[in-house]
Amino acid sequence: MKILEYLSTLDRRIIYLVLAIVVILPLIFPSIQRVRVMDPVGKLFAAIDAIPDEQILMLDFDYDPQTQPELEPMAVALLRHAFNRRIKVAVLSLYVQPLGLAKKALDQVAEEFNSQAKIRADSIVYGQDYVFLGWQPPPIVPLLGMGISIAEVYPRDYYGLRTDSLPMMHKVRNFNDVGIIVCVSGGNAPIWWVAYSQTRFGVAVGAGITSVYASELYQYFQSGQFSGLMIGMKGAAEYEETVASSLRVSGRRKATEALGSLNAAHLTIIIFIIIGNISFVARRRK
Amino acid sequence: MTILLLSGIFTLAPPTGIQAYDTPDDRGGSITIEWQLSSNDVGIEGYEIYRSEDGVAYEMVGFIGQGRGRYQDETDDNREYYYKVAALRDTVRAFSSSSQPVMSRPQLFDLGATNLFIAMIIFCSITLYFIQTARRGKKFEIRKIAGLDAVDEAVGRATEMGKPLLYCMGVGLVDSIATIASFNILGAIAEKTGQYETPLIVPTSDPVVYTVAREIVKESYTSIGRPDLFDSDKVYFVTDSQFAYASAIDGIMLREKPAANFLVGYFQAESLILAETGAMTGAIQIAGTDNVSQLPFFVTACDYTLIGEELYAASAYISQQPLLLGAIKGEDWGKIVILSTLLVASLIGLLTKFPILNLFR
Amino acid sequence: MKRTLPLILVFIFGIMGIVPYYIPHGGYQTLDNMVRNDFLRILSAFAIVLGLGSLMKVHIDKIKKHRENWPYSYVLIIGFVVSGFIGLFGGIEGNGMLPTSIASFKFDIETLYLNIIVPLGSTMFALLAFFMASASYRAFRVRSLESALLLSAAFIVMLGVIPLGDRISPHLPTFAQWIMDIPNVASKRGITFGIALGGLATSLKVILGIERSWLGGKE
Repeated sequence: MKILEYLSTLDRRIIYLVLAIVVILPLIFPSIQRVRVMDPVGKLFAAIDAIPDEQILMLDFDYDPQTQPELEPMAVALLRHAFNRRIKVAVLSLYVQPLGLAKKALDQVAEEFNSQAKIRADSIVYGQDYVFLGWQPPPIVPLLGMGISIAEVYPRDYYGLRTDSLPMMHKVRNFNDVGIIVCVSGGNAPIWWVAYSQTRFGVAVGAGITSVYASELYQYFQSGQFSGLMIGMKGAAEYEETVASSLRVSGRRKATEALGSLNAAHLTIIIFIIIGNISFVARRRK
Repeated sequence: MTILLLSGIFTLAPPTGIQAYDTPDDRGGSITIEWQLSSNDVGIEGYEIYRSEDGVAYEMVGFIGQGRGRYQDETDDNREYYYKVAALRDTVRAFSSSSQPVMSRPQLFDLGATNLFIAMIIFCSITLYFIQTARRGKKFEIRKIAGLDAVDEAVGRATEMGKPLLYCMGVGLVDSIATIASFNILGAIAEKTGQYETPLIVPTSDPVVYTVAREIVKESYTSIGRPDLFDSDKVYFVTDSQFAYASAIDGIMLREKPAANFLVGYFQAESLILAETGAMTGAIQIAGTDNVSQLPFFVTACDYTLIGEELYAASAYISQQPLLLGAIKGEDWGKIVILSTLLVASLIGLLTKFPILNLFR
Repeated sequence: MKRTLPLILVFIFGIMGIVPYYIPHGGYQTLDNMVRNDFLRILSAFAIVLGLGSLMKVHIDKIKKHRENWPYSYVLIIGFVVSGFIGLFGGIEGNGMLPTSIASFKFDIETLYLNIIVPLGSTMFALLAFFMASASYRAFRVRSLESALLLSAAFIVMLGVIPLGDRISPHLPTFAQWIMDIPNVASKRGITFGIALGGLATSLKVILGIERSWLGGKE
């Protein structure tokens, strides 16, 4: 019974220590986990894959350092998908914090493709294949303004170039020329795209979100307002899996590598809850 | 037969049934062109869209890929245009006949938003009706909200222990409804703490929220005749970076050990970081937010949680102002309207599932 | 007047904000765009100055009066001044007026952001996992039938969203998805309806000037 006494007053630091160990170990000794691609991710992939030539993919990278580990793999997988299929991409952020990370993801994936390109036509060129629009505060301005004119909201891109001078943007005027907007965010931004841009201009919206937000944002997928959805590390891994298997794009798959830790952490928490309940029931019996 | 087959390969059927019309419900400057796909659609590259102002000289204005029969052209308003569409295969073009002349105009009302407009009018009328009823002197009752009744207990305990109270409004901006609701509660709490001379710490994460919060605390102290209690170092702006704000609040909780923590407003992922740290220090915790995804964390780690609407109702509950209570009654009726619509729609939906009752289809 | 003017402004701009949803006419849309695009941006710029003023005042006072932990206020002020200076004169990627590197040591805003803010932010967010573990250990107890149901649903979803769940049984992820799809969405919608109506009513009260708490103080 002593052990039950001990368990019921278990120091939270022990819980923290155990959790830290089980999360770190699989990262040091990774094992590749296979994932089954579920409906929300499958639909997102299909929606992006179906973007016609005259339309572009708009990516809102609104994850900040806090949610970077969970969301950056999504951004990378989306870019790999678009660049591989030669879908033109416009990237932006609604907040200033994520800008640096958005640029990092863009630079990384463009470099991946360009380092493997054997001929000029294979390389990914700024202004032709993608643009980085940057940040225009406050969020409501791009959300509504781009329905009328993208170049009016972003007269210059992140690098200070005139947006309408970029070859890719010649035929891109407003949301009519956007196939789908995918918002990768650790907050509520995906709902804003639905509430403002979709309600008013009818543009398709997809999202990549942290698992914490899954229960809240899931209803918008079910109602069809999100064309597709990536949820947390597993969603990111599913997209990585789809991109890798159906497009044969290589590159590091960070979300898939982290699944081992996810497995272990979930199991540990379940075990702790069970232990907590055993001691609780036992004490109540006494 | 052979000749027919060959001509099928070499001739290209043009798109038919071309229709051009002013794009509905827009700000003008746009004409929509629709056509029936060419019967050779599968083998072609796509469709070129041609425009003319006199019906004679056409210029190409757009191109759209194979399989698509709709294009929106950018135009000048109040000018007549004619359209033709050509199917394109290699260098061969098959032109459709010309469309009727068409003009684009801005519309004054977006007919597509009619349902939204009607819903807005209905709900606003209901709310206004009950506010008006309240104005005429009808009293409305509001059920007990445990979290708000606990405010007295929290202030009392802080006073007994000689510890401060922490009021944290989360990371919402001033236009967030949760923040507006939080201001109301802050006013009431500032008054109560003023009466007992218990210090109240209000660190904020938005400059505008900070300005309003400072005024509220100041005015609340003034309204109980103690303007001297206001200390500008207790109500301040910290940072608008989410987790830097969370760590600042955690620091205050651990250093100052407030007897009670109020986490009321719009919260994101920092909710549990704050609530769990507060639970560690043993403070009474009253939380409230309308961010549904954070509610489970607050319910787990706090003593009382105001869920969504309860937070909005707080200002009416605390002030017991008849007009505010009237608005809540209006919300209830709004809900009844939504629920009955849903019920009827679901029933019709279910009935159409039975083949015998195809009547409703 | 101090109170009437803001109330009039709120009424006018509140109504102006609703109208463009229903009137697509170009002239009105341009006006709406101007209010949102230009006015709002200028206003938020002023608010930032206001907030930073408060932050500086609190910390300078702290140093002057030697309040508890006052030396840390120096860290804040120095950090503020240095990053402000680098941002203004050194540019984001070191393309400003002044140089932002000494040999291979770079200190432009982007480098500072990626090497200081990013790891600090990730660390704070990672704490969530630990807090979730300790909070669920403390609070997830089978006290009643409802909490038993809640607990089993939690287990199924937690297992269903990891690859291990698929290995235990391929039905587990499907069942987890069902829980997310049906009971979860149903309850969330219920709360969302309430929040949406509450939001509508609150906005109406603010526009009509019945709710005035945002003005600060009492009537």
